[in-house]
Parts: sequence; structure tokens; C-alpha cells
Amino acid sequence: MTALPERRRTRRLPEELGVIVALLVMMTVIGVARPRFLNPLNLLTILGHTTFLGMLAVGMVFLLAIREIDLSVGWIFNFSAVFTALLMVAGVPPWVCAVAGVGFGALLGLVNGALAVVLRLPAIIVTLGTFSMFQGLSLVVNNGRAVVPADQGSSFFTAISAKLFGVLPVPAAVFLVLAVVMHLVLHRSRFGYRVQAVGSNPEAAELAGISNAAVRLQTLVLMGAICGLSGAMYVGFRGAIDPNEGSDFVLVVVAAVIIGGTPLSGGSGTVIGAVIGTLIIQIISSGLIFFGIDATWSTFVTGAVIVLAVSLDQAVKYQRARRARRQAKH
Amino acid sequence: MADTALIEVRALAKRYGGVVALENMNLLVQAGTIHAVVGENGAGKSTLMKVLAGAVKPDGGSILLDGQQIVIDSPNAARKRGIGIVYQELSLFPQRSVLANLFVNREPTRRGWVSVSAMEAQSRALLDQLGLHVDVHAPVSRLSIGEQQLVELCRVLLEEPRLLILDEPNSALNKRETERLFDVLRQLRARGNTMLYVSHRLEEVFAISDRVTITRNGRDVLTKDRAALTIPEVIEGMIGVQHDALFPPPLPPRAARAAERIVVEGLHNNALQDIGFSASSGEIVGLAGLEGSGVSNLLAVLFGTEGARGRVEFPDAKGLPKSPADAARRGVCLVPADRRRNGLMLDKSILFNISQVVFGARRDGVPWFNQATALQRARRQIGDLRIKARSPYALANELSGGNQQKIVIGKWLEIGPRVFLLDDPTRGVDVGAKREIYGLIRKMSADGGIVLFSSTELPELIGMCDRILVLYQGRLAGELSGTDIDNRTLLHLINTAEMPAREDAR
Repeated sequence: MTALPERRRTRRLPEELGVIVALLVMMTVIGVARPRFLNPLNLLTILGHTTFLGMLAVGMVFLLAIREIDLSVGWIFNFSAVFTALLMVAGVPPWVCAVAGVGFGALLGLVNGALAVVLRLPAIIVTLGTFSMFQGLSLVVNNGRAVVPADQGSSFFTAISAKLFGVLPVPAAVFLVLAVVMHLVLHRSRFGYRVQAVGSNPEAAELAGISNAAVRLQTLVLMGAICGLSGAMYVGFRGAIDPNEGSDFVLVVVAAVIIGGTPLSGGSGTVIGAVIGTLIIQIISSGLIFFGIDATWSTFVTGAVIVLAVSLDQAVKYQRARRARRQAKH
Repeated sequence: MADTALIEVRALAKRYGGVVALENMNLLVQAGTIHAVVGENGAGKSTLMKVLAGAVKPDGGSILLDGQQIVIDSPNAARKRGIGIVYQELSLFPQRSVLANLFVNREPTRRGWVSVSAMEAQSRALLDQLGLHVDVHAPVSRLSIGEQQLVELCRVLLEEPRLLILDEPNSALNKRETERLFDVLRQLRARGNTMLYVSHRLEEVFAISDRVTITRNGRDVLTKDRAALTIPEVIEGMIGVQHDALFPPPLPPRAARAAERIVVEGLHNNALQDIGFSASSGEIVGLAGLEGSGVSNLLAVLFGTEGARGRVEFPDAKGLPKSPADAARRGVCLVPADRRRNGLMLDKSILFNISQVVFGARRDGVPWFNQATALQRARRQIGDLRIKARSPYALANELSGGNQQKIVIGKWLEIGPRVFLLDDPTRGVDVGAKREIYGLIRKMSADGGIVLFSSTELPELIGMCDRILVLYQGRLAGELSGTDIDNRTLLHLINTAEMPAREDAR
């Protein structure tokens, strides 16, 4: 009895191909009807709009990969931004405030993580509560009003609102770099390996010496830190933070991740897919405006796209399972 | 006893992916008899029963009922033909009442409304006969497991099947309940009913059956009247391969490492009492005991998944591992009994799974996943352990049970463990793979590892171990070593916690 001759790894198409094609088709359709849409400036604006939300989607991939969902991301984003802005109002140097904002986001993530681990509850339950807690605390400290840092002449504001090579908004560049880094973290780092292992089979991971508690905690802290980064940059980009900014983020973020192809069943995820999922959602709402359709329709269309995306995904999986079964028979 | 065949199975075959469950299985059951089917785990008994019950579609072969070829393509079709089955696992609705469970999907009605009183009337006699005196309106979940099993049996009997299949029906019954069950079966036989009885408890098979079919590796090996059989004959038929061939001899020690020891004294927690033993490298120490005797708890404690108090010294001069992560970093490994649930990431590749401990659990080394190194590791284990897979990128799910178990072992071998805790490592594995796993265990031992090996199959312990510790209700009932290890003594000790009286000392 010897091992079978090893078959070479079949070069498969990247799993993100489906969403990439979907994105290109959408852009082509809109572009043919309204060529103005494909103007690079317009496209870059769209990218800029997706930045803050898209960063959260990148973090959410890790949560879905360990079979968790963080509902509080929108308010971590908001609270961190408010925290950053208030520090600036208090006269702390803006760059220091931004770093503190990231740390503050991580701290809120740590609160989520600690509760989830200590109480042995799914993150979705814990963050259902912290969603309102963070919202409430944020409203308490900003008195229900927008926080506007006074001195916006600092290099922080000019740097964040600058455009690289004269076209690419800095936040968009940060978003893309973050996505690439997190893609590598998920697929090439020990932390990413553990995330996939715990998501794939938590019990087996635990018995292989991979602590589920540690991985869950780290993932929620990472999520918080990314929200903090997004929030701090938002303050630099907009120069203010509204009391309700971020309130509607979470569903869009989860939708983007799912459209991107990350399964809810855990064990795997695609950061690139999540980025494209975010772009698809943004293009839907921008594209509708180009067609002169009322923007209120965009919510409906986004929902329809989610249903379409999961249907296609399910159909592909069903086909694959059927083919596998047929192969097993022969 | 009517001498006509009620049901006949010819050349039945069934594969699950690469695993052969049935291969040329034949069976002939005479009407009005209790026919036992015995065989080791994985011999194909349960698959055969599932085919007859319409739960599994065979790949080939034919089934004849009353001499007519029939197709049983669904559980409903089986029911219509008068075939009823009591599964080993309960299939009751725990939140619903006993009566509701008894009449699932065929509730008697009165003027179009479900009639509880009609249910009571129809089931009372049978419940009495089974000695099941419980509140029939209470949810089934309030009953003991044994009572639940009787409810399940009652449900099937109410359908008055011509052929009643019992797939290890008494695994959860106590002695009294088992006897009552056997009484009912004998009464049914007297009334001309036919029963197929699947079990691996041979004493009971001999107590109840008229005819016995022995199965092995998906085939029927032998069918004989029970009166013409003896237990040793049956065991031989079930195991098939000679012991010497099945269990490789110890390998000469290749002690590159100094001899090491685990010493345990006064270990106790809520499942264990005052356990004390020691184990040295180069030794294979067996752990035996009934379900709930504490064997799996002891392994869990030594691996750090369960807490316990007591004086324990591991080879690294430290005490018990604080967690599985701690154990993994200290070179203590556990091969769990349920590999699909506790050992593998089924939707991941071999390469991913082999890296679980050496990359996933460790803290030292580069934190980046090196694809080339991982590939090297996977190829090494595939080669060393003879894992049959088309490539290191094959998913764990695609492999047979034996090859899956080898991955679980291989992922640990990558860190060169000093302590091997093996919890029933050959469960559900075919004979060929078993032999290879035995060879691996010998190698672990020869390489200087401390091996603690628990198993539910006694021949395995007898064939492999230098010493066997027997646990009974959480305490150490006894220890056998060398020539004291034999089937009879071991069985006695496991079941009674006492050494059998010596025959020569009578």
C-alpha cells in the first residue's frame, strides 16, 4: 500500500472572480447608458465614499470567518470619531488624537471581546447590547450635536484630505493598503490561520492547542481598532462628526461581506471580495442617481442584490456538490 | 417455526465516497425467527439495516420479500412493506408527549380531530407489556434514556411490522429493561413475528437469537444456527485476521531521548477518585473501562481540557497542562475519539490540517504561514503514514475514516510529542488502517514516547499493551500486566471492578 501518485494542485480561478465580473458588468451597463459615470474622477469619488464603510467590511470578514458578527461596528466608528474630535477640541495635537482614536476603538472592541469570552456568549448577542451602550455614551459626550475640531489647519487635516498623485483621496489609499494587508494577514499569518481554524471547527481547533477564547478576543479587538482607524480618518476627512454618522453602517457592512462571497458558516473569508462587495453597493446607489432614479430606491436595490448574490452562491454550491457526488459514485 | 424466507438480501453493495460499507452482503431471514447480525464497528451491519429500512439506497444487489424482488426507496416504502426499525440513536421529538411520539404522522382521529383517548386506548396494552409505566402525556424528554428507547420500540411495534429491525436497541437499557425487552421479543416471535437483531454484545445475542450472521468488512462471513455456534467462533469470524498479524510486535527502542516518566498520585475531580499510576517511555499503557468509567475524563485531565487535583509530574517536571494550548506546547498530544468533530477541519485541505499544531498552536517561530514548508510537512506525513489522498490539497472530508485518523495523528507527529494520549484511535476505521495505526503506536513507543491508549475493543488492548489500567466508576479498579492480560480477566475486571477467582485456586 503506497500513497497515490500526487496530483498537481489544479490552478483554480480565484474565488473572487464572480463578484469581480458582477462589478465590471454593472459598471459597463451604467457606463454604456451614461458614459459620464465612467469618468475617472467620478469613479474615484465613489471609491472615496466607500472608504469608511469598506474598512469596517474588511474587519467584518474576520468575524464572519470565526462564525461571529459584530453589530456594534457603526457605533464604535462613531464613538471613536467623537472621542478623536473631542480630544482635538481639548487641544491635543491632531495626530496624537488620531492614534488615540484607533486605540479607543480597540478598547471598545476589547469590551466586546471580554464580554463575549467571559460570558461565553456569541458576539452577536453581546454587541446587540453594546450597540446601544456605545451609541448612548457617544450621545452623552457629544451632547447630541456634531463635534467640530476648531483648528483645522493642522497637517493632519491637510494630509487626510489630500489626494495622492492629485487624484486618489488619501482615505481611499489607506483603505486599499489596509485591504491588502488584511488579505495577507488572513491567508498568510498565524493569526489568520487560527481564525480559519476556529471558524472551520472550533472544537478541533481547541484540542489542537488553538485557544478559541484568545482568537475571538483578538478578532473583536482587531475589529474595534479598524473601526477606530476609520473613525479617526473620518474626522480628518470631513472635519466634523455628526451624532448619527455610522448608525446605519452595520447592515451595509455585513451585506458587503456577504456579497463579496464570505460564507456565514465560517472557516474562510475573502477580504478582496468584501472590498468589491462594498464597491458594488456604492455603485448601486451612485448609479441610480445617474439614471435620475430617486436615491431612496437604492436601499431596496441593495437588498435585492444581496438576495441575488446569495442565490447565485447557493446555486453554484449546489452544482458543485452534485458534481462531487456524481464523481464519488464513479 | 415456519421454514420460509421472509426476507432475503443478495449481493448488496454500498459505497460512501471511497469507503466501502457493503460489498457482496447476503442475508436470509426465516419467518418467525429472531435473527442476529453481529460484526465489529464498520462491518456494515448498520448500513445493511438502513438499506432494509429505506434510509439508504444501495449501489447494487437485490432484496426479496416473500420471494418477490422489491425496491425499498424510502422509509415510507419500507413501512408499507411491513418493515419497522428501531434505531440505535433516538428519533423522538423530545418536547412532545409520549402519545404524540407514538402516533407520529398517523394520529387516530375522531370526527376529524386528533383523539388523545383513542391513542391511549390503542397503546395501553403494549405499554403495559413493555413495562413502561410512565405519564403518557408528559414530554418524552422527562423520561430516562432507557424509557425513551422503549417508547421508540413501542412506536414501531404499534405499526405491527412483519419484520422488526432492532439496531443495538439496548445500548441505553439497564439489565432489567433489557430482560423485559427480550421477553417482549420472545412473545412477538411466539406470535410469528420476525426480528433482525443487531448487536455487538455477544452474550445477549446468544441469549435471544435463533440464527446468527457474522459480518466483516461489508460481507457476510458465516450464517449458522445459534445452537451450533460458540462465542470464540463468533469472535474469530468477526475479527477474521489472526491476532499476530493484526498486532505488530514491539519495535526495538530507538531511544535517542532519555527515558521519561509520568507520575500521577491521588488525582481526583468530580468524575475521578484517587487515581494513581505511572507510565514510562517505551511503554504502551492501556486504559479500559465502561462508558462513564472515567477513562475519557482521565485523558481529558491529562490534556488540560478538564481540571483535577492531585500530584502529577510530567516529563518536563511540571504538573498538569492548564489548557490544550499549554499541553500542545509541552509536547502532550491527544488523538480524540471523535475525529470528525474534535480532530479535523473537514472543509480544509490536508495541508491546512497537518499544520494545526505545529503552526497554529505554537507561539514561537515566524508568524507567517510558509506555503512551501507547510507543503513539505503535508508530503512528509502523507508519505510516512501512507495517507491515501490525491494531493496535499485534497480536503479532509474527501478521505476515508482511516486516512482521516492518520491526519489527526500526523498533525501531532509534526511536533514530536513526548506524551501520546490516544482515545479510541481506531474507532470506525477499517481493518487495514487499524493495522497501520497499531504500527504507528509501536513506533511512537519505540521512539521514546509515553503512550496511554484507551480503547473500547478489548482485543486491541490485549494485543498492544504492556500494562492495562482498568477504571470503574471513576476509580482505579485494577492493573493487569504481562501474562495476566487475557480477555476473560479483563472483561471481568471492567464489568465488576474485581479480579476473577483463579481457576487453579478453586
